[in-house]
Amino acid sequence: MTDVAGIVDACAHPIVQRGDDLKAYMGEVWKQRFFPAPERYLYPHPVSDFAPGTRPEEGAPGSDRALFESQLFAGGIETAILLPLTRGLSPDIDLGSEICSATNRWLAEVWLEDTGADGRFRGSIRVNPHDPEGAVKEIRRWSDHPGFVQVAVPMEAHAPYGKRQYLPVWQAAVEAGLPVAVHTDDGAGVEFPPSPVGYFRHHIEYSSFVSFNFFYHLSSLIAEGVFDRMPTLKFVFADGGADSVMAFMWRLNDHWRAVRHEQPWVKHLPTEYLRDHARFCLSRMELPEDEEALARWIDVNDGANLWLYASNYPHWSYATPQQLNEPAFPAEAFERVFRQNAADLYGLTTSVPA
Amino acid sequence: MSKRRVVVAHVDELAPGDVKIVPEGKFGVGVFNVGGEYFALTNYCPHRGAPLCRGKVTGMTEATDPYECAWVREGEILRCPWHGWEFAIKSGTTVTEPKRQVKMYPVIVEGDTILLETGDVR
Repeated sequence: MTDVAGIVDACAHPIVQRGDDLKAYMGEVWKQRFFPAPERYLYPHPVSDFAPGTRPEEGAPGSDRALFESQLFAGGIETAILLPLTRGLSPDIDLGSEICSATNRWLAEVWLEDTGADGRFRGSIRVNPHDPEGAVKEIRRWSDHPGFVQVAVPMEAHAPYGKRQYLPVWQAAVEAGLPVAVHTDDGAGVEFPPSPVGYFRHHIEYSSFVSFNFFYHLSSLIAEGVFDRMPTLKFVFADGGADSVMAFMWRLNDHWRAVRHEQPWVKHLPTEYLRDHARFCLSRMELPEDEEALARWIDVNDGANLWLYASNYPHWSYATPQQLNEPAFPAEAFERVFRQNAADLYGLTTSVPA
Repeated sequence: MSKRRVVVAHVDELAPGDVKIVPEGKFGVGVFNVGGEYFALTNYCPHRGAPLCRGKVTGMTEATDPYECAWVREGEILRCPWHGWEFAIKSGTTVTEPKRQVKMYPVIVEGDTILLETGDVR
């Protein structure tokens, strides 16, 4: 890797030291309530949920800002987009929203307080899309804060994200000029099974394929005409799908040519929505085993335009820029995936000009 | 050089909404009467090669806003009998991607006779 400066990490995960620390940022009534700890206890990683060496002396990996910075920024990353996870879908809608609000207060206070021209962290406004009114308020509460550059929602949902009950939330994101990131959540609440055919048994099945749920959201957003309504709306699928999006999208194209009449508000071929409306965080599980295939893989999936480098620090899937660039990307694709696509999306200036 | 002309029908035999398939060329040619105007399309769908002109003459949905669905262009749309691709009869183009098109031929009316003009006379 010749040039490792100025890289943008589109997804890193800070966390509170201990799960209950979030209560310090909650209203009095909510502090009394039980809510799930951060662990995804159905499918823990059988070796470690966290990358080696990321556990600080005290508290959870990802909770010590000094260690976080010293490890994450060692490999050429200049700016990192922080996406704290929440605690799963709460059966109590208002509790779910309060967990989001507390997470945002904590992120602003602990991680984004020095965000300015030199700040290296940017944050995500966590919202509960199952409480559209509360989500809209939360977006408006933070949208003028210079540190928050996107809205974030869980991959887990009780209805796909193109459905009309969510429209006010996406509209608020558009009005704030912020993309919406989708990421599988921490904790465990009242989620549906992680696959349409039910619960997996093992971690290997969960971690390999749960991210494919992104496609139900993406196809719903296209088919319900959400992108036709909101021409500047952007979604970031933050943990998966980069490598497989086109295979799914070609199916949509093929069917749309035959059954366009059921959703005439979809004005374009489904693949034509991707560049204007979708980005995908790349993870280290998603590149071809056949190294010779990398350049073709990038081309087929329009990676140079759609992919964003993401570290996933400090989770077990943490990949430095060097690790994700092995085998090496073609130079132009590298420049876009590791730097420019995220800089454009989040309005960042990087130290290495494009 | 003059064009080859083929008799399609007497004008009384092809009313508005009707189609007649003439055994011209490799696949035949469908001659349509759309509101008193005649249009001729190759009987071959560019998708998978279906006999396109045996499809239903219909209209199409259109949305001015998302979720606002109207029925428009009744009698101007041909729906392929195999997979349902929609074609605008007047232009031969698909509704979804107008760059995709079936070949069209000129239709001429001389007196009471509808004539199809195909290739050049050799």
